[in-house]
Amino acid sequence: MKLSELAFERQDYAYAFLDEFAKRELRRKILKAIAIPGYQVPYASREVPMARGWGTGGLQVSLALVGVNDTVKVIDQGDDDSVNAANLRRFIARMTGVKTTTDTLAASLIQSRHRIPEELLNERQVLVLQVPMPEILSSIEPSYARAREMHSDGDYALLWLGLYEDLVKYREVSYGADYPVLVNGRYVMAPSPIPRFDTPKLHQAAHLTLLSAGREKRLYAVPPYTDVYPLEFEDVPFQIEDQRGWRDASTGAAGKFMSEIPQDGGGSSYQLSDTGLKQKLERQMAGEEIEIGATYFDDDTNFYITGFLKGAS
Amino acid sequence: MAYVAARGGEEAIQNSEGLYRILNGDLTRQNIRAIERHMPYLVDRVMGEGSLYAPELAALALAQTGGDLYEAVLLLRAYRSTQPRLFYALPISSETTMVVRRISAAFKDIPGGQILGPTLDYSHRVLRLEALETDSIQAPKLETKNAAPSSYPKLTDWQREVGLLAGELEPAVQTSREVAALPDITREPPIYPAPRAQRLQALARADTGGILTLGYSNMRGYGGIHPTVNEVRLAYAEVQLEHPITGAVFSAGRVRVSSAEVVTPFSSGKTPPELSLGFAACLGWNETKLIAAAMLDVAMSLQDPHPAHQEEFVLSHTEPVEASGFCIHYKLPHYVTFSSDLDRVRKAQAGGSLELELEAVGV
Repeated sequence: MKLSELAFERQDYAYAFLDEFAKRELRRKILKAIAIPGYQVPYASREVPMARGWGTGGLQVSLALVGVNDTVKVIDQGDDDSVNAANLRRFIARMTGVKTTTDTLAASLIQSRHRIPEELLNERQVLVLQVPMPEILSSIEPSYARAREMHSDGDYALLWLGLYEDLVKYREVSYGADYPVLVNGRYVMAPSPIPRFDTPKLHQAAHLTLLSAGREKRLYAVPPYTDVYPLEFEDVPFQIEDQRGWRDASTGAAGKFMSEIPQDGGGSSYQLSDTGLKQKLERQMAGEEIEIGATYFDDDTNFYITGFLKGAS
Repeated sequence: MAYVAARGGEEAIQNSEGLYRILNGDLTRQNIRAIERHMPYLVDRVMGEGSLYAPELAALALAQTGGDLYEAVLLLRAYRSTQPRLFYALPISSETTMVVRRISAAFKDIPGGQILGPTLDYSHRVLRLEALETDSIQAPKLETKNAAPSSYPKLTDWQREVGLLAGELEPAVQTSREVAALPDITREPPIYPAPRAQRLQALARADTGGILTLGYSNMRGYGGIHPTVNEVRLAYAEVQLEHPITGAVFSAGRVRVSSAEVVTPFSSGKTPPELSLGFAACLGWNETKLIAAAMLDVAMSLQDPHPAHQEEFVLSHTEPVEASGFCIHYKLPHYVTFSSDLDRVRKAQAGGSLELELEAVGV
């Protein structure tokens, strides 16, 4: 027997690109993050062959987790075909050889920027959210060192004050996406810039959500079945985006998050932001037999956990 | 229903990269060699910020990116990520490097002497237009006269001896094991206040332009200190490794290194006052960055509200790969977050002006 027969075939890069030391560190930090829901765990954050701010944090977590039997879905703004999503998916597939998909139901590992899919995720799925600014306090306290102290003290008074000032000034809370949430009754967390429409999907979710900021070198987690509450006053409930009456132009779907497309001569048309779902609906309309999963919101924008959303949108 | 996703987005990526390559011409070994040989300062800068001493790879990175510095630095950093760390070299000290340039602005003459070395500092900054008309302008030939000493004493040694310099000298790191134990920002993220080793490492990898901007703001008087350049050194250093079995020390190659030291009076906070020392060093020769970085090193140790005095501010905002990456990430689609913002704006608009309402009721 020759040595070459025993050895693996030579490869320019390791499986899933990162070296094993980097993967080990990431896995340990992920476990820590799961153990302390919502707590930002610092990690070394290697440079990967994408620019910082382009999903390098999410990518490192995906690369540390992806196994040969995984099926990977990557979306950006809900879209599988967005150029950066395509680029990340191409990279993961190239470095691992795993299967990829656009179907939420078929995916075991979903990396996403700014959206949570519309179909309910299950206990066997992991959602990795790319995070630009992990520090929810950064708008009121730019120093991460000081913000870390505020988290340890559970000192979120300035966040509440900010919400109150918004109401006084605008009669509305000004947070668009990335709405602050209280995780497991302890840490206030930036859910990444998902729309408020997606925020409730984190509450008591069956799946594991990992959030990772490569540039800021912080990762954190929402384990399955964890309480996640948006910050809201008793008399001023949290509101999701008001998209009542918006329907997907090609499928007529409603009650899902829509992209608004300005039209020549004024007015707007609307498209499902979740392109995986849109594609399936279109194929179903064309007569194909397609499995479409249960969704977080029904066609009338009722959330699947009754009573969780107290305010009308 | 798992199927391989390959749709328009991927094709668009391939075509756009193709267009870029067509515009920038072929990637040839000759071009790469020319960059390595004739643009050493550019190569040094990319290696320093890229945190990987590999002139050939740095030249390749520059050729491959058409000279886009941030892209070239990112290429080196990403390549560096794939390389396992097998050994730690022995520390280099300024006494054992081969110094080619060493100047001090603090005294007219210093122990060991002022060595001007290779520099354009006193050249006339005129374009040599004749080079456009001739095939080549030969570099001048200089006669060698005296052999240079193998090492030069440090000016700080003299300053310490005469009691001018504040602070105890920390014991020098000597073995590769001690080197391996140093805090390292590529292995543990900096938590501020950062250990000094991390601070100096971050400065060594920092963006030249960013360090200059913050250092210059400091020089112009924002939280001003009054530094004097104690020493600037350009040198070659041997990368010395210990053989893993025999323990014999051998050289794995030679790298260009540079360092700068500044001293400031009345910054130590002590009475009677002593001089405070700021230091910076990096792979490759980059004097401008290091002078600014050494000044920031002093500034960051002082209590002063100006941003150039805040360690977290200086180090996190001069990280070239992070800063440039985040800047260009704004080109990515943001229509989900923007639509969420629009929802808030529309809602608040629908509520009308609170100010007008308050005015109407005389508040």
